[in-house]
Amino acid sequence: MPPSTPTDTPPENRSTAMPAARARGLSKTYGRGETAVHALREVDLEIPAGRFTAVMGASGSGKSTLMHCLAGLDRPTAGEVTVAGTTLTGLDDDRLTRFRRDRLGFVFQAFNLLPMLTAGQNILLPLELAGRRIDPAARSRAAEIAEILGIERRLGHRPAELSGGQQQRVAIARALITEPDLIFADEPTGNLDSGSSAEVLAHLRSTVRELGRTVVMVTHEDSAAAYADHVVLMSDGRVAAGVGV
Amino acid sequence: MRTLVWASLRSYSRRYVAAALAIATGVAFVVVTGLLASSARNGLAAGVEAPYASADSVVAQPGVDVAHRMMAEAGDRATPMAFVQQPVGTDGRQLGEEISVGSVSTVPTLRWQDLDDGRWPRGAGEALVDTEAAADQHVAVGDVLTVGSRPTAVEVRVVGTASSPSTLDGSPLYLTWPDLARFGDQVSVTAVALLGEAPALPEGVEAVPPDRFVNNLLTEINNEVDAVAMMVLLFAGVALFVAVLVIANTFAILFAQRRHDFALLRCLGATPGQIRGSVRVESLLLGVGGSLVGVLGGAGLGLALIAGVRSAFASAPLGAADLSPVWATGAFIAGLLTTMAAAWYPTRQVLRVSPLAALRPDDSASARTTAGRVRVALGIVLVTGGLAVLGWSIAATRTPLMAAGGTVCFLGVLTLGPVLVPPLIAMVGRVAGRALGVPGRIAAANAVRNPRRTAATTAALLVGVTLTAAVLTGLQSTRDSLASEMDTEHPIDLALTGATPLPQDLPDRLESVDGVAEAVAVHGTVGRIADTEVTLLAPEHVDGVVRDALAPAPGTIALPYLLLQDAPDTVTVSVAGRHADLRVTRGAGWGTAALVAPATLADLGGRSAPYAVWVGAEDGADAGSLASDVSAVAGAPTLEVVDGFSRRAWVDLQLDVLAWASVGLLGVGIVIALVGIANTLGLSVLERTRENALLRALGLTRSELRRMLGFEGLLLALVATAMGTVLGIGFAWVGLQVMVEPAVRSAPLSLPWLPLGAALGVAMLAGLLAAVLPARRAARVTPAAGLTLD
Ligand SMILES: Nc1ncnc2c1ncn2[C@@H]1O[C@H](COP(=O)(O)OP(=O)(O)OP(=O)(O)O)[C@@H](O)[C@H]1O
Ligand SMILES: [Mg+2]
Repeated sequence: MPPSTPTDTPPENRSTAMPAARARGLSKTYGRGETAVHALREVDLEIPAGRFTAVMGASGSGKSTLMHCLAGLDRPTAGEVTVAGTTLTGLDDDRLTRFRRDRLGFVFQAFNLLPMLTAGQNILLPLELAGRRIDPAARSRAAEIAEILGIERRLGHRPAELSGGQQQRVAIARALITEPDLIFADEPTGNLDSGSSAEVLAHLRSTVRELGRTVVMVTHEDSAAAYADHVVLMSDGRVAAGVGV
Repeated sequence: MRTLVWASLRSYSRRYVAAALAIATGVAFVVVTGLLASSARNGLAAGVEAPYASADSVVAQPGVDVAHRMMAEAGDRATPMAFVQQPVGTDGRQLGEEISVGSVSTVPTLRWQDLDDGRWPRGAGEALVDTEAAADQHVAVGDVLTVGSRPTAVEVRVVGTASSPSTLDGSPLYLTWPDLARFGDQVSVTAVALLGEAPALPEGVEAVPPDRFVNNLLTEINNEVDAVAMMVLLFAGVALFVAVLVIANTFAILFAQRRHDFALLRCLGATPGQIRGSVRVESLLLGVGGSLVGVLGGAGLGLALIAGVRSAFASAPLGAADLSPVWATGAFIAGLLTTMAAAWYPTRQVLRVSPLAALRPDDSASARTTAGRVRVALGIVLVTGGLAVLGWSIAATRTPLMAAGGTVCFLGVLTLGPVLVPPLIAMVGRVAGRALGVPGRIAAANAVRNPRRTAATTAALLVGVTLTAAVLTGLQSTRDSLASEMDTEHPIDLALTGATPLPQDLPDRLESVDGVAEAVAVHGTVGRIADTEVTLLAPEHVDGVVRDALAPAPGTIALPYLLLQDAPDTVTVSVAGRHADLRVTRGAGWGTAALVAPATLADLGGRSAPYAVWVGAEDGADAGSLASDVSAVAGAPTLEVVDGFSRRAWVDLQLDVLAWASVGLLGVGIVIALVGIANTLGLSVLERTRENALLRALGLTRSELRRMLGFEGLLLALVATAMGTVLGIGFAWVGLQVMVEPAVRSAPLSLPWLPLGAALGVAMLAGLLAAVLPARRAARVTPAAGLTLD
């Protein structure tokens, strides 16, 4: 492993010492008055480090909203979010952005990639955004990840020339390139057939098992949740249950 | 279909704002032109009939000689409408170098001015002053004015003040005919009003009834105003053409974004005709709305402008403005047609959508369809054809050919836009984007994702910039070509010549005047040529103050064109009993003296004394006040003052006015083009909401996102401006060959670096500004909101 930031503790310590992410009294309300929608109601939650957590629940139960708040993509109405030891609630937009860039990885359901960049450029994008030099070490790392994910031969292609499963795997490769503390995935297999789904999910699980990363995945498919170590069940903006597997 | 149209308008109307603005601006331009034209027409026509109200007949354009004869024969019942431009001073104070002096009748019924104070002049030596001019210049009844410069100067006493019912015929100062007539050939006589029977008139000159004369005058005014209005309408046409480009681009983008909707409708059973109809209604409504706003806004703006000009310049010939229904309707229809024409091509593209397109993924932000072969071929044919016509126009020096060739060539460049512009932008983007890192690279990539859209966006700006660069370069080159001619015509900035020797210390005193760089005394004497007394000057050591060699060879004498016009090739000059036969050369610019070589003067022997001081002005000295400041120090009324400097400055001013008026009028088109850039960026930002959210999620900060869009706007503006400048310089060169070269010795291209650089800077700044609103909107969206957007 290349040198990492001081807060980066070895994987074996992470799983036991401190949760990867924690929410306290997290609420998110859209609109106000009569038409207010309470997407999250005082959610308390801990995401264990070094594990694969699935967030499940009915449509509209607040899964995506929870993920957006945990990942600093949106600001909660109330409550506090701490990720990898940093409290996100007080950060201004620039610091929050830099935090996401340096510490988090993302895989979305669709439109994951920038259409005008090739797959390879998409994978290296987070490093470039961080202003890091793309040295041979970074390139070989990218190649290594691409090979693990089985997309090494598609790196010169643009997203429009890739299948849905390949696009998702490029997105996973991109999420891994910065060696983030936490990877968030919102329905990463929502658009895929069962074969591609299985591959993508297996890759996500191996990033947890083999690379020691923490993954939080939103899904409403039981088959997808089966890959996780741990399931958080959402219902009407509340955490209904946390089930360890 | 009605529900559909209204729903579309509701959800997309905000995206039409820029297009509506473009059309409204173009229409408002036309309306303002109409209002100003009518105001100028009314202002100029007001009171033109007054001078002829009680005349029995009017002789139009009789010429000075006929006027002289008529006045000699019928002076007690005739009065001329005569003007002369002369310097006027009072009490050692110069009131102006070129004051228009008009005429006042001594026949009571033919006096047309309205007397405000004092009495009417009764004959020579008495003058009437315009009431407002008198107040401005602090001239009062009883003052004595000196009109003209030394040899022909006239002294008159102000006996009354009056105002003119007609702006066209009004002057600050009126003299009676006997005084006016002393300016000889310099006087222009536009008409003679007569009481009673008309005297015998020479061939070609006839007396007409006053109402017919006034009608002709009104027609003339109308034609002149119309000619100017047509010129301005040309610029309005340019603005409307730019609006067409902007609107067509808006429609193309909007339709591309709605391709899915259209295809879905087709899947659900809508016929192409129904979709075409709904889209046509949309463009019709846009055209009606935009044009209406343009007519109303233009009317408000025009009236405000006229009111402003009238309150700032009381003497401006602007009368009541009325917008004729024809102009208003014309402007409205022009706007409507422009919109419909602009929507035509994009609408056709929409109809090509197959129902299946709804099922395909949608990436309207990037279209890899570059120009087809037909377009490239057409572009090349237009460019080469245009160039050929331009070449022909140079050979034949025909301006209409040049305009046609230039237009065709430019249309060719616009047609080739999708092939030419994106690679240029990519190239510039690659170089300049490096400094900005990833945001720069993405911006450069975004700027060329849809070559057609990029080309259309830059095309709008290209039109205005090309014309501006051509005008600026053309006028700068014209100015430089004229400069050497001006040096010959006005060799001395200020030449002061005395009837008697001037004080020795005058040059030193003059050098302390603001704006004077150098003053040199010129020695001379008074001699005679035949019966005429002539001041002979022998310029020496004057290199610092003359712009053209003014050194007559020994044995020659330089006479001004207007002095002793009938003199033979060789004249005998005598000074105090000594004679010399000198060969005559002609020139101008130093006054009414004659120039000889110092050796010739020495041979003639007369007592030499400083009879003249020649003054060189500092660069940028105030042309309006230099002559009067210098005259004040020198004691003007006894001196002849020739003000070459203000003549030069006047020509410069004409060119400047021409340049800046054109640039100002072209500015409207440029503003529309910038609205177009902002529009394209804004619509692209809407399309790329998800991409931008993704970039933000991955770690692009808000300010980086803003910078990215700013750079995209900058790139578009920069490349359009650079291309336009190069094209404009090319066209300016052709224009010089066709229009200026035949008239002067040589017309080399000279580039106005400063204005061109300023134009480039302004365009780049404007490109950045055009990105401000879209960038702010893009940066406001949180990543979560952007990602969940449909
Ligand atoms: N921008 C918004 N404005 C108003 N309400 C919103 C907004 N975004 C989400 N909601 C509401 O918040 C609630 C939670 O939405 P969220 O997207 O988190 O659900 P989800 O669990 O991810 O559902 P799905 O499985 O369908 O993706 C829903 O009732 C939704 O309607
Ligand atoms: Mg969701």
